[in-house]
Amino acid sequence: MMGREMEKSALMAVDEVNQSDEFDFTLKSHLRDPGGIVPAYHNACDDLIRHDRVGHIVGCYTSASRKQVIPIVERTERLLWHPARYEGFESSDNVIYVGAAPNHTVVPLVRHMLEHIANDVFCVGSNYVWTWETNRVLREIVTTARGRILAERLLELGETAVDHIVNEIVERKPPAVFNTLVGESSYVFMRRLHEALAGAGLSIPVLSCSLCEPELKLIGPAASVGCITSSAYFESIEEKENRAFVARWRARHGTDSHVSVDSQSTYVCVMLLARAIRRAGSADVAAVRRAAADHRYDSPQGPIWVDPDNNHCFLTPRLARSAPGCQFKVFWQADAPERPDPYLSNFDPASVGAKPGKEDDVVMKRPNHLRVIK
Amino acid sequence: MTKSSPFSVRGRHALMIMKDEREIPVLRRQLHRLGMTVTETDPERSIAPDVPVDVIILDADGIPIKSDTSPATSMTAPIIALIGTETPSRLKWLLDLKPASFLIKPLRSAGLYTALVMAFDCAQRRSEEAAYIEKLEDRVRARRVVFAAVLQLMRAHALSEEDTFTLIRQTAMRHRTTIEQLSAEIIATGGMPNRNSQTA
Repeated sequence: MMGREMEKSALMAVDEVNQSDEFDFTLKSHLRDPGGIVPAYHNACDDLIRHDRVGHIVGCYTSASRKQVIPIVERTERLLWHPARYEGFESSDNVIYVGAAPNHTVVPLVRHMLEHIANDVFCVGSNYVWTWETNRVLREIVTTARGRILAERLLELGETAVDHIVNEIVERKPPAVFNTLVGESSYVFMRRLHEALAGAGLSIPVLSCSLCEPELKLIGPAASVGCITSSAYFESIEEKENRAFVARWRARHGTDSHVSVDSQSTYVCVMLLARAIRRAGSADVAAVRRAAADHRYDSPQGPIWVDPDNNHCFLTPRLARSAPGCQFKVFWQADAPERPDPYLSNFDPASVGAKPGKEDDVVMKRPNHLRVIK
Repeated sequence: MTKSSPFSVRGRHALMIMKDEREIPVLRRQLHRLGMTVTETDPERSIAPDVPVDVIILDADGIPIKSDTSPATSMTAPIIALIGTETPSRLKWLLDLKPASFLIKPLRSAGLYTALVMAFDCAQRRSEEAAYIEKLEDRVRARRVVFAAVLQLMRAHALSEEDTFTLIRQTAMRHRTTIEQLSAEIIATGGMPNRNSQTA
């Protein structure tokens, strides 16, 4: 699903650039669909570079696919514009990382959990690098705050046999569940957990750093409500750039369609690229990379720019609660775009402290640099 | 392992535990150029070769972190880890395998020889250190025996502790045995064993 959503966004952005008077050049798109087959990403990029002489590549949703592409773009001095959030610990000169770094996603979510929900948490996730690394960061912050990881249950990618985990949650009644499942595993888990908790008369908050609007639709109306989610983008952001973007998206893709963080980010990739080409006066990779650095773009997700120190983006972390109608209600966002920290080398887990007696505490006790928005 | 130079890699046997279709031929070709023999296995099947393995080359990204059975841990050969993902969660898993050296993916023709030399040298040092530690542990275990022998001779001959220990040490040297062995004999015979020592 993500690949198709991202492609739709990229093509929409290319059309907008080509139809706009603001750009005195046009972009030509060359499409390849490796279909999620990891080794095929290498071949697709090789083909794009050798045969189509492509200078800039937008794409890759998973880290496995990105790792396939990086050697070629580095060897041939091309740029990969990577839209997806990922687990960090990478910084290639030939990648512009437009998705969120771990300090933008997991850190604010765990901070919120410790300050307003609980110190102890039950983890469930898909057995791959995103879960391993996200849970590691979670564990480090939670144990520093003297909280506990009550369990860490992993399912193979695509696995939908979730009942044993749901039963364990109902039995042990953890104060919070941290969900890093992806795809069908997550949808089935959310539905089963909702049924089981309702049946047992329980209410346990679920936290996620990856849930997006089209997925809420797939989960279904009842079970998709109430999940606390961390992301740099939600379709419901009220800024005028986003309202206009969502309107253009719906005009193009249907009024019942939803923009996800990844499709919005793919749109931003193409726009950052076009703006950097315009600024550089050339599509030359080195010139574009220089022109992209520190060049602010007021995107649908708010102001965004590339940090030339590590080629990741300054962007604004947000927390939201999923609501009826496949939407998220944003209840917190950072005051200003935050510097990307892909190696979490500027992050001190002790700075995210636990406070006693927070359970069922609805009073917002935010540090001063955080702002509560409606 | 035979005590051969870590720089000589010809004739050694490598077990490749890898998945990546592009990395495998690069590594296989380079190992053959170095005169090594190779067994290849998939991380999931994990075939143990019927020849002794001198080095294991393991693609760290090919194995889920939480898998119960990690194929390389049951073998004693040094491990060269192939690393693609540098997240701490993956590196922690890797550290538990005690890799002797590593290579960063994508692999190139350069680097493998250095990784092999480091792995063979590391394996040799580890085995020497293990033997040395075993020797030290034996001596620690024998301390009680030495102490008992010193005490026995001190009482029997009204000697100071220092003089008694010097006597045991010199006798052990003359008998070409260790202090620990002589102490055991002192306790067994109830006094200094009466050997016909060949003094110089």
